[in-house]
Amino acid sequence: MAALIDIRDLAIGYGDAPPVLEGFSATLEPGSFTALVGPSGVGKSTLLRVLSGLAAPRAGSVALPGRAQPGRRTTAMVFQEARLLPWRRVAGNVAFGLEGLGLPSTERRARAEETLALVGLGEMGRRWPHQLSGGQRQRVNLARALAVAPELLLLDEPFSALDAITRHTLQDELLRLWRETGTTILFVTHDLDEAVYLADRVILLGGRPARAVRDFRVDLHRPRERDTTAFAERVRELRGALSESVADGAGI
Amino acid sequence: MARLSYAVLGLALFLLLWEAAPRLGLIQSLFLPPPSAIPGAFLGELRAGFWVDAVLASLGHYLLGLAVGTASGTALGIAAALNDRLEAGLSWVVRILRPVPGLAWVPFAVVWFGITEAAATFIIVVGVFWINYYAAFGAAKAVDRDLLEVADAFGHGGTWPRLVKVVLPGSTAGILAGVRTGLGQAWMAVVAAELFGVPGLGQRMMQASSLLATDVVVVYMITIAALYGLTDAIFVQVRDRLLAWQR
Ligand SMILES: Nc1ncnc2c1ncn2[C@@H]1O[C@H](COP(=O)(O)OP(=O)(O)OP(=O)(O)O)[C@@H](O)[C@H]1O
Ligand SMILES: [Mg+2]
Repeated sequence: MAALIDIRDLAIGYGDAPPVLEGFSATLEPGSFTALVGPSGVGKSTLLRVLSGLAAPRAGSVALPGRAQPGRRTTAMVFQEARLLPWRRVAGNVAFGLEGLGLPSTERRARAEETLALVGLGEMGRRWPHQLSGGQRQRVNLARALAVAPELLLLDEPFSALDAITRHTLQDELLRLWRETGTTILFVTHDLDEAVYLADRVILLGGRPARAVRDFRVDLHRPRERDTTAFAERVRELRGALSESVADGAGI
Repeated sequence: MARLSYAVLGLALFLLLWEAAPRLGLIQSLFLPPPSAIPGAFLGELRAGFWVDAVLASLGHYLLGLAVGTASGTALGIAAALNDRLEAGLSWVVRILRPVPGLAWVPFAVVWFGITEAAATFIIVVGVFWINYYAAFGAAKAVDRDLLEVADAFGHGGTWPRLVKVVLPGSTAGILAGVRTGLGQAWMAVVAAELFGVPGLGQRMMQASSLLATDVVVVYMITIAALYGLTDAIFVQVRDRLLAWQR
C-alpha cells in the first residue's frame, strides 16, 4: 500500500517574479485518484514539476513516502508530449527509469516487457519510437512511468493530444492499471469530462498567485457512465466553479 | 538506374577528354600525362616498393592524427557545451586560434617536433580539431531540453548519467557529421604535412614532381582519392549502423 502524501503551504515561483502558486496544501490519500484542473497558465505543470523533484519550491514542504522501496521510485511523471528517447527501442525507453535502481539487467528487461504488455504493446518492444502512432507513443510514455512502480504517479494532460476514441481507451486502461497497482495518482487535465470520469476528487486551482479554490469529491460509483444525468451534473458543477474562478481571478 | 548510367557516361567522357588532350597535341603529355600512362607508372611504383611504403606511412599518420584530433575536439566541444564557465573561458581563445589555417602551423610543427612523424600527426590533429570541436559543441547544445528533463525525472540527473544517457546519443548525428568532414580534411593535412619531408604519399609526390614524373604524381593523386573514398565508404557503413534509430 502506498503511503500518504502531504503537501504543506507550498509556494512556487520562477526567478524573481511573483509566485505562481502560494499557500497550497493538500493531502493525497494512499491509492487515491485526484484530478487537478484550472485555467491555462495557473500553475498546474509547475506544481507537478515540484512534486516530481524537477524544481525546488520557494517555501513549504512535500512529504513523500520516505525512501522508495528497492526497485521502485517515489514519483514518476507522464509528460504531456511523449518525450521518448528516439535512439532507444520501445523496450529500452520503458526500461529507462529502471536503470540505476540496482536491478539486474534480466529483471529490468522482464519488467519492461511486463509493463509493455500491461499497456497493450507487448509485441512492440523492438520497434523504434518513430515507428509508433501517436497513441502508441503515449502508451510507452505511460509504461515508462508505470515500470518504476511509483508511489505517486504524476500525469500532465497525457491524453490531450489524442482523438476522442483513443483518449477514452487510454482512460479505461489507466483506471485498470490504477486498480491493479494501487498507486496514488495526481492527474492534470483541461478536460472536465475527463476529470469526472477518472477521479475520486477534483482540486480546482485558481487565482494569482494560484491556490486550491475548490475541492470536489466525485462520489459516482465505478465503472462510470458518461451519458447519465448524475455524470453530466458533476461536469456542469465543475464548469460553473471554473468559470467563476476565472471571473474572480481577473487578469488570468 | 538512369542515374548510374549517367554517372558511367560522365566518367567515360571525362577520361576520353583527358586521353585526347595530350594525344591530339593540345597539351604536352609532360604537363598532363594521359590516363593510359598511369597503369604503367603505378606498376613501376608498386614493384619498387615505394607505393606500399608510402601508403602505409601515410595511413599511419592519418589514422593517428584523425583519432587524436577527433577525440580531443569532440571531448572539448561537448565539455564546453555542458559547462557555461568553460564555454565563456574558451570563447576568445577559440576566436583567436580557430581562423589560423592548418598549414600555418607547419613551421611550428617543424620547430617543435623536427621532421618527424609526430610533426605530421600534429598538423593533422590541428586540421581536424576545430571541425570536430564545433560540430560536437553545436550538437550537444542542441540536445532537446525536454529529454534532459526526462533524464532528471527518472533518476538520471547527475552530470555523468545525463552525458551518457542523453547528451551523447542525442548529439551523435551532429558529431558524426563533423567526423565525416574531418575524414576529408585530414587527407589534405596528410599531404600538406608530408610535403615538408616526412615520409608518405605527399613526400613521394613531391619527389616525383621535382623529377617532372607527372604520371607518378597522378598515380599518387588517384591513390589519395581512392583512400579517401574507401575511408568515407567505411565511415558511412558505421554511421548508418549507429544511427539506425533515425527514420
Ligand atoms: N520557465 C518559466 N519561467 C518563467 N515563468 C514560467 C516558466 N514556466 C511557466 N511559467 C509561468 O508560470 C505560470 C504557470 O505555468 P504552468 O505551465 O504551470 O501553467 P499550467 O497551469 O500548466 O498551464 P496549461 O494548462 O496551459 O498547461 C504561467 O503564468 C507561466 O507563464
Ligand atoms: Mg501545463
